[in-house]
Amino acid sequence: MGELAVDKHVKYIVSVEKRKDSFESVVMDHLRMNGAYWGLTTLDILGKLHAVDADEVISWIMKCQHESGGFAGNIGHDPHMLYTLSAVQVLALFNKLDVLDIDKVASYKINVEKAVNYIVSCKNLDGGFGCTPGGESHAGQIFCCVGALAITGSLHHVDKDLLGWWLCERQVKSGGLNGRPEKLPDVCYSWWVLSSLIMIDRVHWIDKDKLVKFILDCQDVENGGISDRPDDAVDVFHTYFGVAGLSLLEYPGLKAIDPAYALPVDVINRIFFSK
Amino acid sequence: MSQSSWDGNKAMDLLNQLEAILESDPLIDEVGFIHPSQFVILSKEGGESSILSEDGVPGPTKTNFWNRDHKLGISTEVLLPLCKAAKSAFMDAMKQYKTLNSLINNKHEEENIVRGSSPCQSFESEVTKHSRALLLLSCDFGTAWNARKLVVSKKQHLAMFMDELLLSTLVLSYSPKSEQAWSHRRWVIKMIAGKCSTLQEIISKESELVEKIAEMLHELKRSRDWAGLHVADNSCFHYRRRLMLGISENSCCKQECQNSSYDVESYQVLKEELDWNEVLIKRYIGRENFIALACAG
Repeated sequence: MGELAVDKHVKYIVSVEKRKDSFESVVMDHLRMNGAYWGLTTLDILGKLHAVDADEVISWIMKCQHESGGFAGNIGHDPHMLYTLSAVQVLALFNKLDVLDIDKVASYKINVEKAVNYIVSCKNLDGGFGCTPGGESHAGQIFCCVGALAITGSLHHVDKDLLGWWLCERQVKSGGLNGRPEKLPDVCYSWWVLSSLIMIDRVHWIDKDKLVKFILDCQDVENGGISDRPDDAVDVFHTYFGVAGLSLLEYPGLKAIDPAYALPVDVINRIFFSK
Repeated sequence: MSQSSWDGNKAMDLLNQLEAILESDPLIDEVGFIHPSQFVILSKEGGESSILSEDGVPGPTKTNFWNRDHKLGISTEVLLPLCKAAKSAFMDAMKQYKTLNSLINNKHEEENIVRGSSPCQSFESEVTKHSRALLLLSCDFGTAWNARKLVVSKKQHLAMFMDELLLSTLVLSYSPKSEQAWSHRRWVIKMIAGKCSTLQEIISKESELVEKIAEMLHELKRSRDWAGLHVADNSCFHYRRRLMLGISENSCCKQECQNSSYDVESYQVLKEELDWNEVLIKRYIGRENFIALACAG
């Protein structure tokens, strides 16, 4: 079995952050905040968050905040929940949540009971969750639903054996995981399927060693980065999910990551214990 | 054109060319990104007049755009400078449009005659023009979709809503999974439906239900052959499960109705589906989709 090429991946992520003029970075311009979350969380898991200039990152993040309290994907763009989440997550990595006006950011008041009911209405006969009621079960959706139910203390709504079965069926011959029946394996499902299995306490239903091998095979050991499947082009998104998946699989030398909050456990502990 | 030295003026020329094509052919229904070498083949097939070179002169010089039969081809070589120019132009136009709008909103009601004035309209058309080009190149640029919603919802012209449907169709022709494009279509349809509420009042509930069942039966029959040849398509079988569930739910609703012919047909269809499922399970051993379908049955 190969090894995790830590230094190469760090180099790759730092180079992507600097490369603002490539075609890839221009078409992803609107979701740079997500990219920051993927890249920086990966660095933190690898123990290398210091490879970037924290002040520069934080100053850029704050320029993306709007009067409404929400954050945009990049400077000059409109705010959106997706980028607000990533911004808060990155600030948490740097232990800088104090720069936020918490009330402003959280001014969307959420009715938790209604939210949980909606999630439950998206449950399917196969135990999975779709993106709307009646929508096809999909591993990414399942992660979002199970994570939200976990955070709100509502996991009792999940049929853990039924969902666990559907999830462990995602593992294919190569050891990789797909997102729904008959699809090709993809490294990002190493996160979505795996974290869901952990949250419902059924992770022992998959072959962990085979999955580790699949993720390691998806590395570009020359240039750094991880791709969706072996020999494809790498990107920051799959690099993050590959490393995060390895962390969940307890690969040596990596920081532990929380399966529901998708941030290192020490970051989550820091937030909860500081209250 | 090397990435490290994109010429701002040249990029704006490219953007102007693209926008001119989009303006001259509002019925473009397909966009493709073509390797420069392919333009030679296209020019042989289509005749030289459909090729526009860098300096606007048709002919065998360097070509960046191809437009014929409402199809548009863009050279992959110019995508980066085009994208940058479109983003820059859009952001500038948007800034000015928003500034003007907030100035208008700060004035008193009587002074709002400026709303229909030409500076406002010209910024609106700049925002519309540049966002259209930008979205063809970067279809998930949410801020651009938002800008179009803003302009269109202020004007409230049906024709503009229809243009939004055309644009989103165009984007979906090469990016069918673009969630932003689908979401924009849903928004447009809601806006149009809101303006035509009397139509909904005309449809009576009884005939609506009957129509629904008939459509579901028709859809199930229609898609069966395709489904049998695409046994690995999970979405297809999820759809069939939903149709079956929908048919059985609606049949229960109709139990008290005098017209029970749909009940008989529904039952027969469900039985046929399960029998067909059994055949497929035997033919394609181990396929997850049929087991799931059988469970739903």
